[in-house]
Amino acid sequence: MRILCLVKMVPDVDNLRYDRERNILVRDDASLLINPEDACAVAVALALRQDSPDTEIEVVSMAPRGAIPHLEDLIRRGIGRVTLITDPLFSGSDTWVTSNILARSIQSIPYDLIFTGTNSLDGGTAQVPAQIAELLGIPYLSNVNALKNPAITDRTVMVEVEEEQSVLQFSVYLPAILGFQYTPKRKLPYIRFEELNRDVSSQLSIIGNEVLGFSANEVGLKGSLTQVKRLDTDILYQKQAIRVSVDDQGIETVYQFLKQKGVHPC
Amino acid sequence: MLKQVLVYIDEDAVQDSIDLVEAARLMFGDRDLITYALAPAGQYAGAETVFDYIITSEPAPVAHYEAGKIARLIEHLHHQYRFDAILIPSTTFGRIIAPRAAIRLRTGLVADVTEVRTEGDEILLVRPAFSGRLLATVVCRGSGPIMMSVRPRTFVKTGATVKQAKLIFCDTRNLPDSGIRLTGRTERHQEQDIRESEVLVAGGGGAMKDFPLLERLASLLGGKVAASRKAVDHGKASREIQVGQSGKMVGPKVYIALGISGSSQHMAGLKRAKHIISVNIDPHAPICSMSDIVVQGDYKVFAEALIKRIEAQRTQTNGGLSWK
Repeated sequence: MRILCLVKMVPDVDNLRYDRERNILVRDDASLLINPEDACAVAVALALRQDSPDTEIEVVSMAPRGAIPHLEDLIRRGIGRVTLITDPLFSGSDTWVTSNILARSIQSIPYDLIFTGTNSLDGGTAQVPAQIAELLGIPYLSNVNALKNPAITDRTVMVEVEEEQSVLQFSVYLPAILGFQYTPKRKLPYIRFEELNRDVSSQLSIIGNEVLGFSANEVGLKGSLTQVKRLDTDILYQKQAIRVSVDDQGIETVYQFLKQKGVHPC
Repeated sequence: MLKQVLVYIDEDAVQDSIDLVEAARLMFGDRDLITYALAPAGQYAGAETVFDYIITSEPAPVAHYEAGKIARLIEHLHHQYRFDAILIPSTTFGRIIAPRAAIRLRTGLVADVTEVRTEGDEILLVRPAFSGRLLATVVCRGSGPIMMSVRPRTFVKTGATVKQAKLIFCDTRNLPDSGIRLTGRTERHQEQDIRESEVLVAGGGGAMKDFPLLERLASLLGGKVAASRKAVDHGKASREIQVGQSGKMVGPKVYIALGISGSSQHMAGLKRAKHIISVNIDPHAPICSMSDIVVQGDYKVFAEALIKRIEAQRTQTNGGLSWK
């Protein structure tokens, strides 16, 4: 069994910088972290390998070079191989371009299953996994919260999906992409002390457009089919609020307000 | 010029899907609009009087989880009808169908649109981004139809024109298999749905010490408990009661926000809330600018005092149910 994990590095949202002229997020100098749902997906893959040790796990990430230390740490946490896709040409790519780049990169890597997170912390469009699935012509399910035990039998994987009104069980033919939900209990393992400074460079490969061969018009801002025209911070109309403190007067104000608005105590 | 719009009807959110017609009206106006509802699962109750056409899959219905198949169906229909826009509800499976269809049509897709505007000939789509810190105004480039996904209850149908939809049947049996089989389904208890509640008592990152306290206040007010993403991610509340861009869009009469700073990803879920009371240590938290009442202080002290006030009134009126 070969599991590919797609991992996105997301900017620490508290420390963002925008290029307002080009209307893109400058990721190069923002501090990065592994998208939490993607980390969950990697944790599930590692747990699967504990049960069947012949499982091979490879991480693929499209990110600026600043991601290298995080990706090296994934190797120290037990990932066999990491491929970083990076090229200055790719900066500013929308989900359409990103999906095309990732799908082309994946085509040269063998896999039975692709694990990733359903949503990313920054864009949050949840489009890329489904778009890659379409480009590769394979099934995709999102919001996976658990794999059945045993998860994989006879070229199908049994999964549980949490949706708005119900919990659904599916069997999915391999190869397939599964998008996991964030679950606090699914955590990446710690890096063991003796691993901390291990040289892992032989397990990390870095590929750019010289390998993938896109034309400059197909990628980055030029290749994108959606374009951000404007970014606004103050989004909603402002109300003139009544300001009170937590004291008798404040509580009475809230109490009378509720009464006035017809909220009935039970 | 006539505008043709396709709306996908998710069988688990039929009315919410129908409501997307409103976004089409905002883009193109009412007069020259021809609307198509795509209901491949065969469930479209209520759409007959709203759409001009209803497209179903006969004789074999296609369920929403067969997203790959539905994406191909949308592609096929687009080649036949040349839609100006394709709108898909941001349900669990709508969020898979939309990107898959966008790839097949080679068109840009804007996710979770919260606002639609026109500027001259250009159609601007607004969506929250970067954990809701910002609102991005996005335009679609390329020749394909405008494609967007919209979270349920972002738009509510207002138009009163009553239509009589014509049915179009589509045979999907030749489309490739989706590779996905449903093997089991457990319904969730529905009394949890915070979208129906008139009063919500919501807790955020600053209210994680004592979540059960919110339950007490909510039940005294005849309301329900809701939560911000932070509280959900920390395991304090279930995802079903999460409010915001990645949770639910709610429209209560009163929303009492305890320890919620109000990132725009959270506020995106509150657009239809009539009144907001926010309790925060920080008087400059973003949510304060949206609130009717800003209470500066500790949520726990506040909740306990308000519970006491309500209970005191109850004893005074001999267990009665009225305010005084």
